[in-house]
This record gives sequence, C-alpha cells and structure tokens, in this order.
Amino acid sequence: MERVRNLTQAYSQTPWRKQLKFVVLFLLCVVFIALIAGIYLDVTARAATIGREILYMRSEIAELELTNASLTTELAVLTSAKEMKTRALDLGFVSVEKGEIMYVLVPGYVPPQQPHLAPPPKPTKVIAANLPADYRQSLIDWFREQVVPTISRAVEVSP
Amino acid sequence: MNNEGTWRYTFLTTLYSLMAIFIIAQLVRIQTNPEQVAHFLEQSKIFDGDWRPVKPARGLLYDRWGKLLAGNTTVYEVGVELAQVRNPHSIALTLNVILGLDYAEVLEAVSQEVSPKAVYVVLADYVSQEKISLLEKYRTELENTTSNKRGEEPPSLRGLVYVPHLQRSYPEKQLASNVLGFVNREGLGYYGIEAKFDDLIAGNVQDMWIPRDPNLVNEMPDITSGASIVLTIDRAIQAEIEAILDQAVEFNGAQSGTILVADPQSGEILAMATTPRLDLNEYWRYGEVFKDSTPFNRAVSQAYEPGSVYKVLTMAAALDSGAVTPDTEFIDVGVIEVGGIYIYNWNSAAWGPQDMQGCLQHSLNVCLAWVATQLGTKDFYDYMRAFGIGHLTGVDLAGEVTGRLKTPGDTDWYEADLGTNSFGQGVAVTPLQMVMAVSAIANEGKLVAPRIVRSIIDKGNQFDTEKRLIGIPIKPETARTLSEMLARSLEEEASDALVEGYRLAGKTGTAEIPTPYGYSLSATNASFVGWGPLDDPRFLVYVWLEKPTSSPWGSVVAAPVFHDIVERLVVLMDIPPDNVRREILASH
Repeated sequence: MERVRNLTQAYSQTPWRKQLKFVVLFLLCVVFIALIAGIYLDVTARAATIGREILYMRSEIAELELTNASLTTELAVLTSAKEMKTRALDLGFVSVEKGEIMYVLVPGYVPPQQPHLAPPPKPTKVIAANLPADYRQSLIDWFREQVVPTISRAVEVSP
Repeated sequence: MNNEGTWRYTFLTTLYSLMAIFIIAQLVRIQTNPEQVAHFLEQSKIFDGDWRPVKPARGLLYDRWGKLLAGNTTVYEVGVELAQVRNPHSIALTLNVILGLDYAEVLEAVSQEVSPKAVYVVLADYVSQEKISLLEKYRTELENTTSNKRGEEPPSLRGLVYVPHLQRSYPEKQLASNVLGFVNREGLGYYGIEAKFDDLIAGNVQDMWIPRDPNLVNEMPDITSGASIVLTIDRAIQAEIEAILDQAVEFNGAQSGTILVADPQSGEILAMATTPRLDLNEYWRYGEVFKDSTPFNRAVSQAYEPGSVYKVLTMAAALDSGAVTPDTEFIDVGVIEVGGIYIYNWNSAAWGPQDMQGCLQHSLNVCLAWVATQLGTKDFYDYMRAFGIGHLTGVDLAGEVTGRLKTPGDTDWYEADLGTNSFGQGVAVTPLQMVMAVSAIANEGKLVAPRIVRSIIDKGNQFDTEKRLIGIPIKPETARTLSEMLARSLEEEASDALVEGYRLAGKTGTAEIPTPYGYSLSATNASFVGWGPLDDPRFLVYVWLEKPTSSPWGSVVAAPVFHDIVERLVVLMDIPPDNVRREILASH
C-alpha cells in the first residue's frame, strides 16, 4: 500500500510526466485534426477529379455527337437515290417494268409499315403515389406510426 | 542557445507574428466591410466560369420510309488566340494557300496586340474537315522541323484554333428541294419545311453557364436537339417523278413544269416536283436559279388558270345538285352567251347532241358553261368554295398562296365569270388546290386536307399526324358516277393517258394564259389530272406544263406524262393490274 502511494506521489510530482501528458494530449488533437483534414482533402480531391472527368466526358460526348451527325449524313450521301441507282446500273441491274412483274399472294406477308424512329409518347404517370412509404415518410411520421402505437399499447396493458 | 542569437529569434518571431496579425486584421477588415465584400464577390464571379450560347443540333428531315433528306455535318470555325501567336506570317501564308484567304487581311488580324477587347479573332468559318486535316498536317510538320532551330522567329502555326460546329447538309442535293427549302449560315430556314417548321427544327439556343469549379458540374443542363420531321414524300417516287418532269419539260419545250402525286384517300403527298430546282447544299446560287421572281415551289406558290381540268369540279357540282344527270342531253351549236359574252368550244365547232359524258370527253366549253347556268350562280360558287377553291389548303409548307375565286359580290365579278369559270378560265388555283379538290371525287366525295408531314419526333417521342377530313362537298354516288364518266371518256377517246391493265379516270386541260392585253394566243398551260385504280384509288396525279412549244394541247403534252408516271407508280407502289388484284381479292 505504501509502495503504491509512493509511486502515485512520484508520478504526480515529476514535472516531465506532466509535460508528457500535455504533449500527448496536444498530439492527439493534432492527429485528430489532421485526420479530419486528410479525409476532407481526399473527398474534395476525388470530387474535383470526378467533376473534371465529367467535364471531359461531356466534351467527348459533344465531339462524338458531331462525328455521329457527320457520319449519318455521309451514309445518307452514299445511299442517296442517285448514288444507289448508279451503283445498281454499274452492277448490271435494270429497272423493272410494269409487264415484267409477277404478283404472288404470300400468306402472312406484311407490307412495309411506317418507320418508328422514336417511341410514341406515353401517358403521364404520377409516380410519387407508387413510391414505398419509406421514401415518403418523415422521421416524425415514422415515429408516429411505429412508436406511438407501441407506447399506447403498453399503456393500455399496464394498468 | 546564447544571448547573442536570442535577439534574432525574438526579432523573427515578432516580425512573423506582426505579419500574421496584419493578415488577420485585413481579413477581418475586408469581411466586415459590406462594400468590400460585394466588390470581391463581384470580382470572384469573373473567374467562376463563362456564359456560353449553346446551339442545339438542327432536327433531321426524313422521307416516309426513314431515308435522310436533310442532315447535319461538322464544319469548323478557324480563329487565332492572339496571345499564343508566334509567327503571324506563317499563319497568313498558310491560310492564304489552304483556305484561299487574303494574306494581307489575315496578317493584319493576326498581328494585332492582345487587349481585353482583342483576345480571339475569327478568320474563317464553315471550313470542311478535309481542309482542317490539311492544316493540322502542315502544323505538325512545322512543329517537327523547326522546334530546335535558333535565330529568327521560326515558322509556326501556334495560336491557330479550330472550333467544330454543325452545318445543314442535304445528301440528296436537288431531290425534293422545292419541298425541303434550305437553311442559311445564320441558321434561318427559308421556304418549304425548313421555313414552316423553323422554330421547331432549330430548337432553342440556350445560354449555358460553364462553371470552372468541377464540383458544380452537375448543374449543367442538357441541351436537346431540335425536332425531326418524317415527311409523307416517298424518296423513290420523288426521284422518278423529277426525272420524268425534267424529261417532259425538255421534250415539250415547256417553260416550267409541276407534278404532284398524292394518296387521295389519306391526303398524303407522295411526290411534289417542280422546275427549276436547286442543289440545297449551294443555296447561295438561289438568285441565279430562281430568276425574275420565279416561285421556289410552284405547286403551292403559283396560282394559274387551270383550264379544262376544272370542268371536273363543275360537272361534280351539277351532278350532285341534280341540275343535270349523266344522260342529260345538250345540243351543242358551238356558241353560248353568258352574261353578255360569247363562249366558244376549243375548236370553235358545233358538236351537236351530247350527253354529259360527251361534254367531258370532248371538253366542250359551251356545254359546261350551259351546265353552270343550269346549276345557278349561288350553287356553283358554294360548291367551288366547298371544294376549297380560293382558300389555303393548310399544307405544312411555307409560301402557300390562296389563288383567286371571284364570287358574286366582289367588285370585279361579272355574270360572264360564271360561264368562263365553268371551264377553268378567270379562276386562279394552285396545283395543290386542284389536287385537294379532285381528290374528293376520287375519295367518295370526302375532301381530305393535303398532308406533307407524317410524324414529328420531339424530345425522344414520335408524334404521328392524323388524316384530316375537311368536308364532304359531294355525295359518294356523285363521286362514283363522275369517276365512271371520266374513265369512259379516256377509254373512248383512246387517250395517251391510258395504261394497259389499269382502269383510270382523268381529264385533260388546255388553258389560255391571261396577259395585261387579254388572253395570249401563242401560249397555253397544258394540264392533266387523273387517278387510279378506279375501284380503289391509290394515287392521284396532277401534271402541269407551262407554255409547251411542242403542242399547245394538254391531251398531246400532259396526258403522255401522266401515262409515264402511272407506269412507274404501279411498280413503285406494288399495285398489281386490275384483273390480278381482283383474283387476289377473290382468293383471299
């Protein structure tokens, strides 16, 4: 017991131990702040990098759209009525005349239909009504729904 | 640490502390002064980002099967960043050789000092990809060969920049040019579909904020391109019709020509060809192609006196009202007086007793003038209005004109007009108005609005247009009776318009041309309107040749053109001969 008291006294009275305690506390604070700052910097840097990548991708999309538009037009030039006729004639095809056609009834044949270059418009739906309650409830709503009935039941049972 | 060094440390500590205090004091002073805060916030906005106008891609135009008729292609704006320029002479010389720009002008533009008002200079625009590739190749060669040289300023294209953007392009060049119209370099649509739907196709130019802060990138809005349009035009039919028209105009020495092909049941226009036509990729040649106020699209923008093709409408009105029947007999003595003027037949002859089919078959002016008088002035003009004469058809093309139908009550209407109007003189119509009116006869009396737009594709959805019934000017029985009369007329006349295997109805027209000094004796408008197959009309064709020199008569000039067109249409539209079609239907 005497030994323990001596050790406590010696520890509390030794100046360098007090300094060490102070330094450790200070360092802990510094490390904590550095940790927070590091995490903040990391997140910010990653967000900035992703932002730059998005900007780059947007410009790449714009460039691809221009290329796409040019290629679509180029394809249309290569398959234009005049070009196709010239190519067909060069390949030895001849224009079919009225009397040269034999008409045959093909069961199930569907004549060419109007092209659908995009889907037709859909009726507007109110999707909010279909969302599960979890996505629409506030914390207070949830509390009212889950906790209040439980408390009420407990009160009813207890008397 | 000795005392001698202590004062240095003390001095430095004090200095740095004072500096820190000064900075903190400045921060506090600025942030607590509202004027300074506003000033610095304003300053900071300059570096936040830029407002840039973003022009959406112009919508595309397709034919009825989705073939591209108007698209976009990438071209480049060539400019210089003045601060980056190293050798103005190199840039001026290169652009002079490759782009043909004036050396002195480029040199002056490139040599100017950088200032807040002069940072970037545009030197050329609408430069093709091939030219840009040449410039880029030359730039690379210069960079490689001169990078290590010393002495005078080496040749360099530094500072030269290319900014890509879209330009309208028409892959079919002249095809359907009268329908499409064109877009100039300012992006404005002229004529046809391009003008009519300019707002819709062009989309909305938006000023977009481009932030420099990458964390704000998600605030950038998406710019949707303009709406695309699917036309009712069939590219294959249009190409054939244009070829036939050009050949007919040349062969007959006509001043111009117009041909319309429509589906009388739906009102869809399958082909619309006029002369002259323009390669839309060279729209700046407009002035030399369309001289002396020549209409861009005669089918909708030029009204003319149609002549005898109009008799179809007069007869339709008279039969429908009961004023005459197909068997009504008329003794043609070669002349009739209406409203104080004398009307004669095309050959000034008397044709004797005629029924109504004979009147149409021989295209007798005297008979039709008499029919109009039997019908009465009020009924005649009521029927003409019901057929849409004198009104816009409402087709989705820019520049449509109404034509002119003088009616009782107009200051320039005289009783004699009833007589002349009955055979298509003294009344001005567009070819499209005639197509719409005559379609009602081919379509069981139902007048359907002509359509050139089949679908509109906007914001990712396709909106299809619907057939629009305007009215029912005549009864279905009248339409069937008149169609049969016109078919028999062609068959009994052994007309050049007939096509073996197909029963067709039609009427020729030869109209004198009005001048300020009366009607011209030397020039005519030759027309033909016809449709088929008679029992299930799939096409209606209108031919108009202006001032043909080979012959003045529609039966000689326009009827063979109708024949040639129908021979191609039955192939392109997969229409079997009548007997084959009936066999197929019977076996089905």
